[in-house]
Amino acid sequence: MREILSRALTKHQNKADFLEIRIEKTENTAIQFQGHKLEKISSSQQIGGNVRALVKGGWGFISFNQLDNLEEKIQEAIQIASLIGKGKSELASTTVAVEIIKQELEGDFRKIDLRVKKELMQNYNDLIMSYHPTIQSSRVNYADRFSTIYYANSEGTYLEQEKPFISISFTAIARDGDNVQMANESIGSTKGFQRAENLSSQAQKAAQRAVNLLKAEPVEGGEYTVVVDQRLGGVFIHEAFGHLSEADFLYEDERMRKMMKLGEKFGNSGLNVVDDGSIPHLLGSAKYDDEGVKTRKNYLIKDGILVGRLHSRETAAKMGEMPTGNARALNYHYKPIVRMTNTYIEAGKNSFEDLLSGISKGIYACDCYGGMTTFENFTFSAGEGYMIRNGKIAEPIRDVVLSGNLFTTLLNIEGIGNDLKIIESGGGCGKDGQSPLPVSFGSPHLRIKKVVVGGK
Amino acid sequence: MKKLLERARKKVDSAELFKVKSKTIPVNFEVNRLKSIDIAEQEGLALRIIHQGRLGFSSLSGNGDFDSILEKAIASSEYGAVSAFNFPPKMETKSKKRLEIYDKRVKNKSVEEMVGIGEKLIDQFRDFDPHLRIDLNILQDYSQIEYVNSQDEDFTYQKTTFSCSIMAQKVETKDILMVYDSISFGNDNLNIEELKAEIIKNLQWSKKIVPIKGGKMPVIFTPKAVITLILPILSGLNGKMVYQKISPFTNQLGNKLWGELFSLYNDGTIDFALGSAPFDDEGIETRRFPLVEKGVVKSFYYDLQTAGLAGVESTGNGIRSGIESEPAPKINNLIMEEGKVPFSEMIKDIREGIIIDQVLGLGQGNILSGAFSNSVQLGFKIEQGKVVGRIKDIMIAGNALTDLKNIVAIGDKARWINGQYKFPHLYLKELSVSTKSN
Repeated sequence: MREILSRALTKHQNKADFLEIRIEKTENTAIQFQGHKLEKISSSQQIGGNVRALVKGGWGFISFNQLDNLEEKIQEAIQIASLIGKGKSELASTTVAVEIIKQELEGDFRKIDLRVKKELMQNYNDLIMSYHPTIQSSRVNYADRFSTIYYANSEGTYLEQEKPFISISFTAIARDGDNVQMANESIGSTKGFQRAENLSSQAQKAAQRAVNLLKAEPVEGGEYTVVVDQRLGGVFIHEAFGHLSEADFLYEDERMRKMMKLGEKFGNSGLNVVDDGSIPHLLGSAKYDDEGVKTRKNYLIKDGILVGRLHSRETAAKMGEMPTGNARALNYHYKPIVRMTNTYIEAGKNSFEDLLSGISKGIYACDCYGGMTTFENFTFSAGEGYMIRNGKIAEPIRDVVLSGNLFTTLLNIEGIGNDLKIIESGGGCGKDGQSPLPVSFGSPHLRIKKVVVGGK
Repeated sequence: MKKLLERARKKVDSAELFKVKSKTIPVNFEVNRLKSIDIAEQEGLALRIIHQGRLGFSSLSGNGDFDSILEKAIASSEYGAVSAFNFPPKMETKSKKRLEIYDKRVKNKSVEEMVGIGEKLIDQFRDFDPHLRIDLNILQDYSQIEYVNSQDEDFTYQKTTFSCSIMAQKVETKDILMVYDSISFGNDNLNIEELKAEIIKNLQWSKKIVPIKGGKMPVIFTPKAVITLILPILSGLNGKMVYQKISPFTNQLGNKLWGELFSLYNDGTIDFALGSAPFDDEGIETRRFPLVEKGVVKSFYYDLQTAGLAGVESTGNGIRSGIESEPAPKINNLIMEEGKVPFSEMIKDIREGIIIDQVLGLGQGNILSGAFSNSVQLGFKIEQGKVVGRIKDIMIAGNALTDLKNIVAIGDKARWINGQYKFPHLYLKELSVSTKSN
């Protein structure tokens, strides 16, 4: 492969300031149960690639899955790049790397029979369906994927990286008359098939939560002090803050740059936020990003002060900063853009009881159905919620949706737990149509004042 | 395709092949200038089989080997669902009129022309307000669909899409105003002027931020925001949800749940609408039929397998969301019937209330129960029959099933949203609005 790619690059590299080719081979399996029925079982394979060319500051990109005519694609990419390029190409320099990275799996799912996977999921599904008479239906999803990515650029970098991914999710749907409730548990991993085994308690937990939600009352809307669990805290820091740290939003927008100026106070002292793609085997991890830059640990907020952001080679050059190893592409259909990897809030000092104490009427919000954000505004649906009354967890509530403004909410974090947990869930992150990109996120329990909760 | 089908038929009882070939060219402008052009060329082939009474499926993209997906489809049929249908036989098209979904002017549009449209728009917005940040996307898409099955049904068609999406942003200290709108259709006939006017109206209404107190109040949803209320309804009308008895409409066919004003239609036969096609993705002719008519639940939408299980006919709604997915019930185009009241009259009618134009968190939360809870990303306050400014940091919440019983009026002018939904303005008597410190 190296030879084919470098031959194609050498022939055309004098016509562009920078050229890169990515080829991706993927094998995957998907299984879904809905209710008692096996809804889907399939395995497939894909191969595809793309070429990206930089000419005078303009990018041309073409993705394809007919690989026979690589040179024609390179020419087409250069041609459209030339149409855009009217300035100067800027790319932060990076070490030329040549490396082949293999992954050792704990249970190679490519070698495991479809029947074994199906039967395992069927067992989990049976556990959910038989949990309680009010369980009306279920969704059990299994997916595995093994991709090999071949990357070469006109600077001499050549990388082969293997990326395994496996995810299992359980949804339980409970119904009592018109009242329909659902709960979800999701697990993702890069480690192999072993992660899919021994998940009975998670399957039952989803069922238990759906059944409990039938009895929960809808939350009363208003402003509350909220304690969020590690999963919701992790989603919050990823969605509401992390995306604003992605330099592609900022580098050409002067007003936005002003808003995200390094050195500004973003939170109270003790608040530390990190993105780190170099932690081995987490969902957002890789030795090199999709531009061939080595990943590393990047502090975004240190002691409440904004200290860093996430870059591609282009955004780093334009902002005069170092590349951070955050250029990632979902798959060969897409170009690499600035993305998070594994993002978390570092542990603080408070115990869970400390965080609850002194709250006369508040909300304990756990888990997350989903979150959305547009710059400063965010909204998250908690998967599970309880009232906090006089410093104690009280009755369950449902339909808890939190929203707010990022800047005020970060400053309103008034307690950080000592119980950091990194979450690996089967879903992923979405940006510019590239979704779901595997990421991890995490947080300790957090106590946040003045959060708006929607409701009656 | 026919040769591949023959190869499959030697090994299985019956088979179906679905092939897509597409080319998409998006021209992207970021921060007021041309940023990138990302061409995507794709080819994919999906094979579905019925073998010994069970369904099997596999797909390939790129230069793949047909025999290997045939093996995979057979392997998956060993555990696959028991088939509740047969692939459809060759059908004569019933409708007399030929459906238009392909415009060669879209396919032949040059990149330079698309760049020109974008540059002109950016100039016009910057003339309106030089501090605006404009991101926009002009896109053309061409696809070719081929279908064959072992019942001798076969068809092929071409389809084009042309679309323009615009995001106008204004950043002040700790306030970001974002106004988003888009227009999308199959032919080269987009009304970009109207799109521009809509965005500029919203920008004008947004200049002043006004305070608001929470509580129950009258609300107007613009056509862009109506999907907030309709998404839970659409999920409940899905034949699969009904068959699994998790739809709130499970035993409601023929029952009147809402007022006379509320009617919804599925329609796959509208020229150049994005959800239109002569056949759905499993060879059933698409059509127009009522889902809800004058408040009465009239019909659910089905693909072949779900219809077979439920003992009804497919409604032509077997749609694949990608080459790797099997057909599942999905709406073609969704049309909400227009009412009689202009938007301006709705505003005049309200003493204190809000207009909702953009929400965050669509589809989050428990859609099955009808519940919705969204943060309002762009909304305006009405006082004494006039729009007084933009509102911030508020949330709306409710249950679509019950809130749609409170329709005061429906707009007289429906608008296409994403080329697939046609919605008028919707005016509700009251809705729960939460704000900071109320």
